[in-house]
Amino acid sequence: MAKPKVAICWLGGCGGCDEAVVDINEVLLSVAGAVDLVLWPVALDFKYDSIRAMKDGEIALSIINGNIRNSEQKEMAELLRAKSQIVLAFGACACFGGTPGLANLTTKQDIFDWVYKNSPTVVNPKGNVPKPNSRNNGNELTLPEIYEQVQALNGVIDVDYYLPGCPPPPYLVMYAVSAVLENKLPPKGSTLAPHRALCDSCKRNKTKPERMAITEIKRIHEVEATPDTCFLAQGILCLGPATRDGCGESCININIPCRGCFGPVEGVVDSGAKYISALASILDVQSDADMTRLTDQFMDLAGYLYRFSLPTSILKKKRS
Amino acid sequence: MSENKPKIVCFSCKFGWGYLTDEATLSKQIENWIPIICTGKIDTTDIINAFEQGADGVLILGCPEGDCHYQDGNYEAKKRVHLLSRLLEPMGIEKDRIRIELGTDPEGKRIPQLIKEMSQDLIKLGSSKTSAAVGKRPAKEMIKAKGGK
Amino acid sequence: MTEKITINPITRLEGHGKIEIFLDDKGNVDDAYWQVVELRGFERFCLGRPVEELPRIMPNICGVCPTPHNMASVKALDDLYSVEPTPTAKLIRNLHYNAFMVEDHLLHFFILSAPDFVLGPNANPAERNILGVVGKVGLEIGGKVIETRKRCREIIRYIGSKPPHPEGGLPGGVSRGVTEEDRKWMRDTADFTVEFCQFALELFKQTVLDNKTYLNLVLNDAYKLNTYYMGMVDDSNRVNFYEGKLRVVDPKGAEYALFDCHDYASHMGEWVEPWTYIRLTHLRKVGWNGLNDDAGTSLYRVGPLARLNVAESMYTPLAQKEYEAMFDILGGKPSHHTLAYHWARLIEALQAAEHMQRIVNDPLLTSKDIRNMNLKLGKVGIGCVEAARGTLIHHYEADDEGRTTKVNLIVATQHNAAPICLSVKKAAKAFVKGPEVKEGLLNMVEMAFRAYDPCLGCATHALPGKMPLTVNIREPNGNLIRTIERS
Repeated sequence: MAKPKVAICWLGGCGGCDEAVVDINEVLLSVAGAVDLVLWPVALDFKYDSIRAMKDGEIALSIINGNIRNSEQKEMAELLRAKSQIVLAFGACACFGGTPGLANLTTKQDIFDWVYKNSPTVVNPKGNVPKPNSRNNGNELTLPEIYEQVQALNGVIDVDYYLPGCPPPPYLVMYAVSAVLENKLPPKGSTLAPHRALCDSCKRNKTKPERMAITEIKRIHEVEATPDTCFLAQGILCLGPATRDGCGESCININIPCRGCFGPVEGVVDSGAKYISALASILDVQSDADMTRLTDQFMDLAGYLYRFSLPTSILKKKRS
Repeated sequence: MSENKPKIVCFSCKFGWGYLTDEATLSKQIENWIPIICTGKIDTTDIINAFEQGADGVLILGCPEGDCHYQDGNYEAKKRVHLLSRLLEPMGIEKDRIRIELGTDPEGKRIPQLIKEMSQDLIKLGSSKTSAAVGKRPAKEMIKAKGGK
Repeated sequence: MTEKITINPITRLEGHGKIEIFLDDKGNVDDAYWQVVELRGFERFCLGRPVEELPRIMPNICGVCPTPHNMASVKALDDLYSVEPTPTAKLIRNLHYNAFMVEDHLLHFFILSAPDFVLGPNANPAERNILGVVGKVGLEIGGKVIETRKRCREIIRYIGSKPPHPEGGLPGGVSRGVTEEDRKWMRDTADFTVEFCQFALELFKQTVLDNKTYLNLVLNDAYKLNTYYMGMVDDSNRVNFYEGKLRVVDPKGAEYALFDCHDYASHMGEWVEPWTYIRLTHLRKVGWNGLNDDAGTSLYRVGPLARLNVAESMYTPLAQKEYEAMFDILGGKPSHHTLAYHWARLIEALQAAEHMQRIVNDPLLTSKDIRNMNLKLGKVGIGCVEAARGTLIHHYEADDEGRTTKVNLIVATQHNAAPICLSVKKAAKAFVKGPEVKEGLLNMVEMAFRAYDPCLGCATHALPGKMPLTVNIREPNGNLIRTIERS
């Protein structure tokens, strides 16, 4: 029987999700033996044309990481969707937009102005700007068009399964891949990770006081955080309550608070909004002035709460 | 937003606002009115959704301090509004677009006036910025009740 | 009529890019372009973020080289807060950093570049990958590469959290110390790694240097570029990845500049072309002179070969021996042979491994003094490290509450961007002749840039021979989820 065809493709990602696949180490050898890898630009020499030549649905599984910011990424997402039976959004960028999604707080023009004009090291006397079409020495050159907005994968195609994390940890990668190979998948649209919040498995959870009453917010570099006590109880912002479980507390274990790379808890769309409610409930303020003082200490709520998930939040992008 | 009429969504607590007048009557006077039991029930997503669907402002009317039927629903609502307006500022929604007032008005007569005042403030603020966001609307948030992790 | 050959995407390499080769009507290469096709805007969307969050955001620039971004970011914060990390914190950071250099360099050599070298550039593409390499050198080697990478990344996970995206890093220190108990396995890892790096160099000698055809390829003019070189050196002009001054040597090897990273903007200029999103870094004081390596060139290269060209010696003894042997065979310093990057890379991996050994045996490693809390917020912070691919600079400015107001990044690949364009063009002109172009020759064009970028690689496809394998998938708390048996 022919081995199922599997494609791994990166769109607007950083390569970390591809490293995450390699991080399953020797298990990769078993997996590689059980499938026919037909695309993995970072490691194999197949070009896009070989995918274009396939029949629709010929690929059993496409693992796509990275978000969508330019026309080539959109084209590849649509191409792989057409040729695949199952599409797995792999990693925070594909699931929610990821860190580069923070670019939705600024504009394409702002980025271009800095990168090609205003940065202190730019030398650009001709005022050149990269364009989708240009000519050089008589030759026609093309570049993908960069869009105004960063989108998660499900902003442009239907996604069958989600595997969150920046990047997903090895055990969840193995779990997802084996679920596909053994055809033991949950209903379409599911996220292949635990449903509850990080706090549920965090060792520090039991150190939370019965009623938290924060009156002061501390920034992680200004204090020496106690290694075994809940960060929030110490007045240090931690997104555990609004973040899906499953990472193994990789940041908590090195005494750094959670920043939400696993995205919202099951059933939640906008984790930032939900976290506000959680956060509000643990703040103890006596007056409006006190409330303002405390809110000021947060400095950058949008950046903290939407670090990985701005493109899939309700508002998605800054209004202008 | 048209220059004359900003769209304001008004949440008001039934325990403190308008409970002596029947809802049908008040509804005719207040556009986009959502009477609820306790402002503490307002989810932050409700407020963001209002903006996402075209509101120019959100007005929340809760019960006076110390008078919440559920002890501190109004206090929680206040904190939420405070934090949420900070969260939404970098998103292009000025913090004055969300307002919470604590007080009581059994007949609800003041509600249209409060809305009018807020409208005027919003007009001074200028047109609310438009959303150019593309992509599908997020699916409605659902907590599915079932077993498992 | 110009015929155009497109290679899209470029493969066995990081990043998204393509190559366009234009042939004239005689079938000769008229021009060739290496184009980078994406832009994300980190320098802008980091504005407004609290500065201490930047070491957590910046690693998302590259999941292959996340540790350098994390480290450059942390050093920029040290600078911004005028705080010197404690000696133990510095040891821990160096341990993290060297562990990364080893695993990244080894990965690149074995998985990405070895197929071209060990099998030959014109080998059948179906074999020109790790499968073919292992067929030639044995299954055991493949396993050892995975093992070395895994063990080094365990060190990274311990200190920095997730290896593809370390989130640790605080100004003046580190967030987690090392215990005596953990020193033991780290020591084992360091010893294992030194041994494997030596083996890797031996392998390189046997399969590449002892083979006349491959050696000639290394010394071939098609892969030669006469550029300047830049790299970080310590006070004795030895290769240092973590700290030091930046030194530039001219194409003849004479020192052209030696400066502190705070002066980077006066030395580095970023040129813009409409046909690529990447900015082309060049020597600002020389002035942009186009894509050429003639006498007036303003191009300089960074990365393994560049660092070895720039420095006067390595930092550790075994690596030093290899350094001397390499330049002997290449015919002196500086060496302009681009393919020698692969060799230099292995020598650097050995240095990083030896340095790890030194650190894990240092008594100060396990001290609890890991934070210097004496932070004095200033206005500007600049951090510079040598990423695996080359010099990396993070420049931040903040307001008096520690909110980021300005970010300028010079990323390693940028320094090499113009040289890569030129290398690709040279290789295309040397090897490609239309109208029909053999796949192997196109691969030789791709080889021109593979030498520069260590990238993600991995063992893919089936390896020859069967490995009986039972794998248990466990949750982090140890619960068994599933067992897979390889039949």
